[in-house]
Amino acid sequence: MGYVAVTAGEELIERAEQLFEKQRIDDDADDIGVDQIEGQLGRLTAQAMSEGGLYAPRLAALAVKQAQGDTVEAAFLLRAYRSTLERFDETTTVDPGEMIATRRVSPAFKDIPGGQILGATKDYTQRLLDFDLADGSPEDPTAEWELDDEGDPERLTNVTELLREEGLLHEPDEPAVDEPNDTTRESITHPPERDEVLQELARGETGAVTALGYSALRGYGQVHPTLAEVRVGRLPVRIEHPYTGAEVTVTHTEVTESEAVVPVYEKREDPQFAFGYGLTFGRNERKAIGMTILDASIQLDGDDEPAENAEFVLDTVDGTDSFGFIEHLKLPHYVTFQSILDRIRAIRERKGLSEQSRVETDERPADSAVAGTSDDD
Amino acid sequence: MNPEGERAIESTERILMQSFGRGSTECMVDPHDRSDRFELIAACEGATLAQFANDVLDGDPPLSVRQEPRPQLLMQQVRDPVERRPFNLGEVLVTPAEVELEGTRGFAMVPGKGERAALSGAIVDAAVAADHEETPAIIAALEDVAARQREQRRRDWSQSKHTAVEFETMEGQE
Repeated sequence: MGYVAVTAGEELIERAEQLFEKQRIDDDADDIGVDQIEGQLGRLTAQAMSEGGLYAPRLAALAVKQAQGDTVEAAFLLRAYRSTLERFDETTTVDPGEMIATRRVSPAFKDIPGGQILGATKDYTQRLLDFDLADGSPEDPTAEWELDDEGDPERLTNVTELLREEGLLHEPDEPAVDEPNDTTRESITHPPERDEVLQELARGETGAVTALGYSALRGYGQVHPTLAEVRVGRLPVRIEHPYTGAEVTVTHTEVTESEAVVPVYEKREDPQFAFGYGLTFGRNERKAIGMTILDASIQLDGDDEPAENAEFVLDTVDGTDSFGFIEHLKLPHYVTFQSILDRIRAIRERKGLSEQSRVETDERPADSAVAGTSDDD
Repeated sequence: MNPEGERAIESTERILMQSFGRGSTECMVDPHDRSDRFELIAACEGATLAQFANDVLDGDPPLSVRQEPRPQLLMQQVRDPVERRPFNLGEVLVTPAEVELEGTRGFAMVPGKGERAALSGAIVDAAVAADHEETPAIIAALEDVAARQREQRRRDWSQSKHTAVEFETMEGQE
């Protein structure tokens, strides 16, 4: 498809943008601050960071504000910003087991070392509108908690790692390469490497990852995993100090991790579990679990089910790609559409349909004639 | 799940409980140590760093900026527990800076977009490395950062552990 530039009044385009900006302040309410968005709408900023592939909480809050709450637009703004920046380096590789967990549950095992830590969640309570939030003053419901001093955070051993120790998980071959491919710099060629799959899923659009993962559960796939654990916590961001050469921590990223086991005893001589894995920036358990299902599905390398086809999944999960392609349809297509019209008219002319159609439409009321033309499109 | 699978899981649960070892994530930090100092400067408030940088520059010592503070990216690499090979989780916004203060180099990197904090941090790093007269005050402030970090970490952990739960199965119960 080719693109042809169109012109319009620059002033009119500015007016449209001004009208968009006015919507943000179109009532008497106070301007919402970036601090408020970062502090109170953390799920939104997390989603923008995750889908933007850029961990920057404050700028994500700014992006959410600018996009008026449209997370995909906010992710786009973050990606646009990152494209203007140099890369300092890659971090040293961190083991997810180093996560300082604030929440960790295992649907697979009732008794897990370190215990089930519910953390901050409403998973086990009713989803009912809380009308007190509409105009109530915020109160800290944990203010009266009497906390035991639990000492320093424990490093919680991954459940799957222990399953592997017992030989219940497929032992991977030694990785062929130490340096992962970077899909932000090099396009994926199919079949993709596993590290490329994980990177693309990690920055996939939450709705798309959830929907495709859900498709596998709904029967369009073979994977119905049991989650070994779901964690939310902080992962260290480390570099080598340029003077000392020691690994040093710059900051931590809040992440959500999900691990799943998938029984494959019917498929192999040695009954074992296969793995699915999900890890993404911010608090987003829905996406991490969806990613886990897709990771496990893609490993089956099937052609019949969408979720098992890596090319299909990776071509459709990116929010910026899909947002751009879908929404570009709103932009002027006058030249391409004129070309299509000309072609269809020529075919109809050649087949003698145009004269016949004109006679028929002439006999109809005017509005039906318009509808008839539309059908030709 | 078939009986073989159930037995395997029961056995694994036992192994899990036996093999679990508690690992502390805590270690002592020393602001005189360059690597520790880097971490504390990264965690320090920008306004505090700026105040110390101003104090250090008060006497107008020779200062050259070796690396302008500009937001840059770190690609965070994580080891995938399935294949045990690294993958790129995503980029993290940071601002690094490097200076040379009276012949002593200083380097800092702060999370996010923080040009002023990064430049101030590099000056603070160089000042401590050169044993500038502000060093005791800087060290005290960075020790405060370390104490607050530790306290916050312990409080967060205690809060999370306050929600630790034991699920009970209800097999056989009406």
